[in-house]
Amino acid sequence: MCRIAKIKNILRCLVIVCVVTGCKPPGEPALIIATSANMQFAMEALSSGFYEEYGIQPQIVCGSSGKLTAQIRAGAPFDIFISADMVYPLALYKDGLAESEPLEYARGQLALWTLTEDSLVTLDNLCYAGTQYIAIANPQTAPYGKAAIQILENYGIWDKVESKLVYAESISQVSQFVLSGAADYGFIARSIVSSPEVAGKGCWISLDSTMYAPIRQGAVLLKKKDGKHPDSKLFMKFLFSDHAGAILKNYGYIVPHRGEEDE
Amino acid sequence: MTEWNTLFLTFKLAFVTTCLLLVIAVPLAYWLTVSSLKIKPVIEALISMPLVLPPTVLGFYLLMLYSPSGFPGRWLHTYLGMRLAFSFEGLVLASVIYSLPYIVQPVQSGFAAVPDNLRDAARIMGKSGWEILLHVYIPTGRISIITGSMLAFAHTVGEFGVVLMVGGSIPGKTRTASIAVYEAVELMDYSLANHYALILTGSSFLILMIVFLLKSTKSVPF
Repeated sequence: MCRIAKIKNILRCLVIVCVVTGCKPPGEPALIIATSANMQFAMEALSSGFYEEYGIQPQIVCGSSGKLTAQIRAGAPFDIFISADMVYPLALYKDGLAESEPLEYARGQLALWTLTEDSLVTLDNLCYAGTQYIAIANPQTAPYGKAAIQILENYGIWDKVESKLVYAESISQVSQFVLSGAADYGFIARSIVSSPEVAGKGCWISLDSTMYAPIRQGAVLLKKKDGKHPDSKLFMKFLFSDHAGAILKNYGYIVPHRGEEDE
Repeated sequence: MTEWNTLFLTFKLAFVTTCLLLVIAVPLAYWLTVSSLKIKPVIEALISMPLVLPPTVLGFYLLMLYSPSGFPGRWLHTYLGMRLAFSFEGLVLASVIYSLPYIVQPVQSGFAAVPDNLRDAARIMGKSGWEILLHVYIPTGRISIITGSMLAFAHTVGEFGVVLMVGGSIPGKTRTASIAVYEAVELMDYSLANHYALILTGSSFLILMIVFLLKSTKSVPF
């Protein structure tokens, strides 16, 4: 008797779940924006800015630029690709997967971040014996990792710290390694340490941007088989607006002059 | 060159893990077979967790555990000078936990098939638990032990999520083949990805085929 009642209850729950999940009206599919990991927090601010202005809530898919590029090649249903560099979106354009050449929407800045120091963070700290692990994003795939290597080489400390480097899959894994305390220092995007999610955790310094090649970050409108999303152009327009520029600056990006894409 | 390094590291990790697992899993499976303690289901469930738990969950807990800001990590760091995150030892520990059910379960079912009267006979002759394990269970259940270790080996070779979370992709130290495939795909170097993928596919197939061959000879009388 009791068991039958239980089974009936379970069935009832199942029916409710099916009804609730199945009842979504088909409607317009959301605008999907593939976002490189360094833009993770800035993108949330951008998308809520976009929502305020146009009442459209885009969906954000986050990952390393390289992974997203591989997914786009494999036919991922993204409308816009916000990359961490120009190489990946350019490669997509050359393969005929993007509408136009990538446009530089921001220039990234590199920061050195730690939870172990209370006040002063300097590059010298990396050479101390007490520093065992330094996290950087994979320099082969991530522009912030590449910039970190350039910094180490240009300051002449590469030989001293090379054995301490651990390679994160993306810039957001660098923050995971630093936040968990597994790595003592991390080379991170300023946009991540400037975000409210991370603010106040540990100390960081912004590194001299003349000591590494500029991290030019590009965005492209992707080609889709079933036609462009009606709002995708609008978002690209928004990304290059003053409103979006102010948000990006807030997150520690250098925003190039609007209207002139190339130097 | 680096390719061979990566593959060597991957198989070294699997080999070391399997050796450790043999030492841990065989007595554990024996205990699970003969024990009638009430907490046995709890322990069995704990051992089997990696079968169903997302590797990211295990990886996340291990990262917390390894971190020098947490208690176990700090203790290891101050007293043994060891840091498990981003180290080969850390990957070994992770793999031992992660592959444990793949060896315990086959061995346990192999041991369960050992006739009770064999055990009773040994016990009447005054043999201790360890002697019974060594002279009755291990020889009788040897095929299941080989099967279990091969599965654990193959599973460690194929491990990805946990290694990604706690490894740090250091060439020759923690960058295993599955991570290298992932990175090669990101680099758009599909031919390198293909090299690794082919070797991993081939070795996995080979190992599983041997496991199933052994299975078909399992009914051989001892």
